[in-house]
Amino acid sequence: MAEAEPPFVNIKRIIAAIIGLIFLITGCLKVLDPAGFAIDIQNYRLLPWTCGVLLALYLPWVEILCGAALLFNIAYRGALCIGALLLALFVVAYGSTRPRGLDIACGCFGHGIHRGYWAVVIGDTLLLAAVIWLMKVDSRPLSPVIRGNGPENK
Amino acid sequence: MKIVLRQASAILAIALLPALVTGLWHPRRPAWQSDEVTLAAASAWQNVLWVDARPDADFARAHIPGAVSLNEDRWDELLPGLLDHWDTTRKIIVYCSSLSCQTSHDVARRLREEVNLPNVFVLQGGWEAWLKRNHPS
Repeated sequence: MAEAEPPFVNIKRIIAAIIGLIFLITGCLKVLDPAGFAIDIQNYRLLPWTCGVLLALYLPWVEILCGAALLFNIAYRGALCIGALLLALFVVAYGSTRPRGLDIACGCFGHGIHRGYWAVVIGDTLLLAAVIWLMKVDSRPLSPVIRGNGPENK
Repeated sequence: MKIVLRQASAILAIALLPALVTGLWHPRRPAWQSDEVTLAAASAWQNVLWVDARPDADFARAHIPGAVSLNEDRWDELLPGLLDHWDTTRKIIVYCSSLSCQTSHDVARRLREEVNLPNVFVLQGGWEAWLKRNHPS
């Protein structure tokens, strides 16, 4: 089992790093223009403006911290959990736009960038599936250093 | 599970601090009041200056009567024309094609921030909403 672990661990690390990088980039893009992100949130017609403003200020930083946590393997499982929740909420929220007659930009890669409904829904569902897979297969931190010395293993 | 919750809580708590800083000092922080108005609300207003933020070709094809064109492609050329029509008593309502377009918000923001105009709003639903109300088919 120990011999088979390294390539598997590497795959997990790569996937976690890719997801972390995506969160980091999308979070940074939103932080650059919180007013634009608030407008994107308002376009979903799910929340009052003030709630959208609060989310526009807060969510990008949660994404950035989650992304950094996944990338650098710190608070890894907590970051995965938040990432899964964010993605699930996002897939449901964006998925509901077309049935509600809305044709809006998702706001995921910065203000006003329209990627197309199915591209967003499928892309984020795949991302969510990857996060859930990571949560399932790994209940420990990935880094051998942390794995050996982390508080979870004591 | 306890560890997961602890880590997640830590991330969520730490994110509060930069969010607060963003809300207080970010140059592009959102306003706490929405700048959108519905067509029904706008119709009740007196002395409105409509600003069409769509591309020139769309404006030439059709626009709200009395509207002035101002899009980001020809901002410097078109802005003086808008200022000729504006006075301090007029409310400005910017519109673009539909609910999904963003340009009306961008133009409205530039009018507020770069030109320092007060009472700048965005028409919810844009030109599509206007057409639906005035030419229902």
